[in-house]
Amino acid sequence: MRLNKLLTVTAFAASGILISSCSRQVTRVSTDQTIDISGSWNNSDSRMVADELTKNILNANWITSHQDDQQGKKPVVIVGFVQNKSHEHIDAETFVKDIESAFVQTQRVRLVQGGKKREELRAEKADQQTNASNSTIKKFGLENGADYILQGSINSIVDAHKRQKVVYYQVNLELTNIQTNEVVWIGEKKIAKYVKN
Amino acid sequence: MKRNLIVISSLLLGSLYAGTANAQQSGLAPDQNPRYKESQEKYFKSADSLISQHGTTIQNTYKAYDWYEAKLERRRQNREWRHEERMNGYYDYPYLSIGADFSPFGRYGGYNYGNYYGGRNSFWFGW
Repeated sequence: MRLNKLLTVTAFAASGILISSCSRQVTRVSTDQTIDISGSWNNSDSRMVADELTKNILNANWITSHQDDQQGKKPVVIVGFVQNKSHEHIDAETFVKDIESAFVQTQRVRLVQGGKKREELRAEKADQQTNASNSTIKKFGLENGADYILQGSINSIVDAHKRQKVVYYQVNLELTNIQTNEVVWIGEKKIAKYVKN
Repeated sequence: MKRNLIVISSLLLGSLYAGTANAQQSGLAPDQNPRYKESQEKYFKSADSLISQHGTTIQNTYKAYDWYEAKLERRRQNREWRHEERMNGYYDYPYLSIGADFSPFGRYGGYNYGNYYGGRNSFWFGW
């Protein structure tokens, strides 16, 4: 009887260990931690690009030049396209959002919505014309026009032979004056990786 | 008196003409190209489609050659091909395998190792 109990407990314990050893393990890690698994573009690369370009764009002299020309007014920026011409699927929004966030937080640059979000805003405004009370209707034609557009590109070069590979990424962002087409700032971040399989 | 009236009226007409001409020109900013409307009309038509994707990433990627990845891909394809061959019953007829006795793979219990080693068209590697 006692032996039976012991056997049952042992069997349960053994099955528990077996199940826990086969199950997938997930651990939360810091987003600042660099974990390279495949050698492809990852969150660390995106973070490095965001840090470098945010620092560059906010410390460059285009802001003071604009304020000198425009009686101290803050520049208004809209985000345009980023072209990914690399060999991997990379979504630039991960680092462009960090830059946008820095614009808003530092309050040195004003940011206006573009693309689908702007369409949505206009649709909401249109809806208000017939549904909102008179005192709260938002009018058309009072949007802030952007002074500058932020555009960019991602390029890569892959040099691979047998089990070794060197991948080079170059991320460029540029800020252009919409009125004059003059490029007032170019930022770049280069990342090279050596991968051995 | 009559002469004075003529001079005053001509001055008035002249100033009126100058004012009208100035008003017509006032649509232009200083140094603005007078033909700007040609471009403006062109982009008025296409602006919506051009800017609707603002703030997004245009994926224009290319496929980079990677020796190791290509090798893995070749292996995967070969494995798939062999599996399909087996499923189709290709080389499952031992009596067609001429010289099976001389083949180093011919004595493995009848299993089709010939395909595994890539001997697709060789009878030596069959069965």
